[in-house]
Amino acid sequence: MTHAINTEKVNVSDRYMQLIHNLHDDKVKINDEKLKIRGSIDIDDHGFICFPDFHFEPEYAEDGLVHGPKLIGKNFGRFMREMPKYINRNSALATCWVGVIQEFMKIGVAKEDRPSKEWHDTVEKYHILQPGFAGMNHLCPDVNIGLELGWKGLLDKVRKYREINQPENTDFYDGEELLLLGIIDWVEAHAKLAEELAEKETDPFHKQNYLRIAGMNHNLATQPPQDFREACQFIAQFQSVDRTYFAGGATNPLDRMLKPYFEKDIAQGKLTEEEAVWYLASLFFNDTHYSQIGGVSPAGDREMTSRISFVILDAMHLLGIPNNMGIRVHAPLENQGDSPEALLRRAVEYTIEDGFGVCYSLEKGITEGYAKNGYPIELGRMRTKCGCNWVAIPGHEYPLQDVTRVNMAMALHYALEDLKAEKEYSIDRLWELFQHHLSIMVNCIKEGYDKHYEVIGRNVPEIVLNLFMYGPIERGLNCANGGVDVLNLNMDGIALATVADSFAAIQQRIVEEKKMTWERLFELLDTDFKDAENERLMLHNIKRFGSPGSIAEDWALKIRDEYVHQVHDTPTPKHHLMTIPGMFSHGDVYMYGKKTPATPNGRHNGDPISHSSEPDPGFARGIDTFSPALKANAVAKTQAGYGNSAPLHLDIDTGLIENEGGVDALVALIHAHEQMDGTLINMNCVSKEKLLKAHEDPSAYPDLVVRVTGYSAFFASLSKEYRQQIVDRFLSA
Amino acid sequence: MEKKGNIFNIQHFSIHDGPGTRTVVFFKGCNLSCKWCHNPESISPKRQILFYPEKCVGCLACIKNCPGKCHKVGENGAHIIDLSTCQRCFKCCEDCYAEALVAVGEEKDADYVMREILSNKPYFDYSGGGVTFSGGECMLQVDFLSELLKRSKEAGIHTAVDTAGNVPWERFEKILDDTDLFLYDIKAFEPERHKELTGVDNKRILENFEKLVASGKEVFVRIPCIPGSNDDQLPLISNYLEQFPQVTAELLPYHAMGNSKYIALGSKPQIDIPNMDKKVAARLKEKYHFI
Ligand code: SF4
Ligand code: SF4
Ligand code: SF4
Repeated sequence: MTHAINTEKVNVSDRYMQLIHNLHDDKVKINDEKLKIRGSIDIDDHGFICFPDFHFEPEYAEDGLVHGPKLIGKNFGRFMREMPKYINRNSALATCWVGVIQEFMKIGVAKEDRPSKEWHDTVEKYHILQPGFAGMNHLCPDVNIGLELGWKGLLDKVRKYREINQPENTDFYDGEELLLLGIIDWVEAHAKLAEELAEKETDPFHKQNYLRIAGMNHNLATQPPQDFREACQFIAQFQSVDRTYFAGGATNPLDRMLKPYFEKDIAQGKLTEEEAVWYLASLFFNDTHYSQIGGVSPAGDREMTSRISFVILDAMHLLGIPNNMGIRVHAPLENQGDSPEALLRRAVEYTIEDGFGVCYSLEKGITEGYAKNGYPIELGRMRTKCGCNWVAIPGHEYPLQDVTRVNMAMALHYALEDLKAEKEYSIDRLWELFQHHLSIMVNCIKEGYDKHYEVIGRNVPEIVLNLFMYGPIERGLNCANGGVDVLNLNMDGIALATVADSFAAIQQRIVEEKKMTWERLFELLDTDFKDAENERLMLHNIKRFGSPGSIAEDWALKIRDEYVHQVHDTPTPKHHLMTIPGMFSHGDVYMYGKKTPATPNGRHNGDPISHSSEPDPGFARGIDTFSPALKANAVAKTQAGYGNSAPLHLDIDTGLIENEGGVDALVALIHAHEQMDGTLINMNCVSKEKLLKAHEDPSAYPDLVVRVTGYSAFFASLSKEYRQQIVDRFLSA
Repeated sequence: MEKKGNIFNIQHFSIHDGPGTRTVVFFKGCNLSCKWCHNPESISPKRQILFYPEKCVGCLACIKNCPGKCHKVGENGAHIIDLSTCQRCFKCCEDCYAEALVAVGEEKDADYVMREILSNKPYFDYSGGGVTFSGGECMLQVDFLSELLKRSKEAGIHTAVDTAGNVPWERFEKILDDTDLFLYDIKAFEPERHKELTGVDNKRILENFEKLVASGKEVFVRIPCIPGSNDDQLPLISNYLEQFPQVTAELLPYHAMGNSKYIALGSKPQIDIPNMDKKVAARLKEKYHFI
């Protein structure tokens, strides 16, 4: 039996409450200013601070681009020195980030290293807006590597392995070294800034705070962090550097990473829990890196939830700004106490209270699915929630998640075009043609991945994350190109429900009931159902995917199987790299929908396609009325099944759960979805009234945070379309 | 032969009809007709047509294809439905892709219903929930009910029956062994008031209630509270229930949710008052010892 973990809420005194509230208000203000300068932001609100007057003059290669490790390192290092330094008066930590580096210099792959014209033509034809080639980040660093060595230690490590490997081409090590030198100067510059601010500060608490920040940053320029606060400061620095480079946003589990520092400092009386809450709130103010709390040990026998997991949750709750923390949920382990259940309940309570909160990363589907690829199950357990919808093994895996989308509705579109031309119509033939076009899309991405593997390291290396992985520095190889042991490339299918409902509508209305002819269907699609609302409704209002026992559900399973087979059963053609299927569509179902012509499920040209492996809103028919369980069952059933997630989005009306059974019901729903092999739940709890009002006048609700899909954002920051997407989802629920 | 039941809704995630998260199966047909019934489509045992004119796209399919000539366009362009010559073919609903005309009530066999119940078993297991059979009056289809209860119990699922209790006691006997919990509605105490409000007196209802409590089964009383209709009965019900200290009673405050369905059925709600105020409900609960 483990010793009991304190699961109480942290007692935070007025002083620290005030600091945290001030941070919250500052964030809302900064956000407001950003909106005025830049307009709406539909991606994650990563919390960067806008300095409109800051300019950077990059050094370019002959072709007018920045590429190659050395040139990138040189520019990046200088960028770190030149970029504005920042310390918020209410924060316990220094630094911020000022926008992604690509906004300040053109980084790209050299012309001779880009994929062929044919590849580009396919990408164009099928509107593969995220084709995988040259995708950056989307792997998970192990920041512990940095916590153990510090920036200076990382520099020494680079120099040591340069000596050992003696590479003929020193570009890789040059780049890393130039970047680290810039980072160390940037850290030191924050020490200086803190001293200056201390000098001017009259309030004794804040003066002391600036001096402590100065001391920490001096230390961190030369040595690894020594205590909890320095560890938080180092992580904030890591976040800022990582985010600056192509918006990297993943970290290993935060509670495990901070636990040794936290426990040591508490035991020595150097740290109080409320101070820890403030440091953590300052860290979350800095950036919204994805991370996880809770979960099981790699061996599967121990709980990883500890006191710091609760402290982290409290810090997020009290700060009340967008965050990207996940809780790992698993079936209770024997003899390991009930703290994980307490953590889960607390998270759900906070979600109900705040309207948003953590997301729920689900153990069984992720771990057992991953093991089906042929990896030991222990590696599956190590796959941590570190991206909006995705997981990866910190430090060891290059999975390139979230940089591809296979919009299956485009494969269906071209299949229908071909069928129309063939003039002999059958649903079996349509299926064959769909398979054919789907394979063109899948193979295009695989080819792009082969090219990526060949060229990305010498063009645009993972110059930041290489430092935080096991292998790249030791081997002198970029992590995408043999630097780490595990390389498997993700491919996300999208529009499952759109395609399943389309096949089902054809089967029901054309093949079985004969209420419509194929010719008429083609006409309707060509004219986008012009003046044919009733026929559109005929196709639209069938028992859709999500209705128990519907033919659309059978189609969804068949399409899922075909997609998984095409992605998983054959490696990339040239380098035989493993590809793993997922089903995920981010908030970008609008972007893809805009390029997708009308579909036989009655969807208009340009309307959004379906999300993830989720049924379309309004799917429930006949005796089955909508319920979160019905939707959850459909998502669980159609998982891609190899350890990459297909999220379930739940938008819960607070009216449904405000009575006492509400928390229990949601906790049960989360556990049940985990046991049914679901992989991830993203949840909002808002009252219908508030959401509609905020949609009408977002500026009146600058505080309202929602979970868009895997990421959360200020509602007011989103474009009208994205807000509409959330409102639609909510109303149909 | 496989038994079939007439049901009109399966709700997959209810936290209001017994412990934990529950799947609720609503049976069609009731032998009361409470003035406030919020499931008016549950009263008739027959399949019925619901009409939502705001969804109509004017395709005229119903008018063209109805063998009973029940659908007409009135002088002012309004869609008139006269079901006196209806042949109950439900073609109009099938043809109405806009879902302005919807048939309510479906014959389903026990396998179908069990499949849906079982698909939610993990939710029951984690929440201490189960299945609740409701309606309408589910005990009017007692053979079908009894089969579903048996099969649910065999699958290790907690079972609840939501009833108004106006059936012969023998029907209770048929299902006693397979029912873990009864949700028992008491709508009025005085027989004549009960008759006024629901169409039948409550003699048999209270007798069954007492027998049920005596049988040792877990019984949970639910009292709908409709301001201006049955609120005079609350003190009497509270008083009556004092002799059954083992029984918990819950007050269900009125909500107007079913009113649009009266209109869709071509009738009018008999009660048209706003939802009951939460604070008023809380005061009544406290006063009469309901939860
Ligand atoms: S079939 Fe439906 S949509 Fe068409 S006229 Fe009749 S009610 Fe209106
Ligand atoms: S059920 Fe048949 S007869 Fe009755 S109104 Fe509809 S179409 Fe006409
Ligand atoms: S007993 Fe229930 S279903 Fe029957 S009429 Fe009364 S409220 Fe409606």
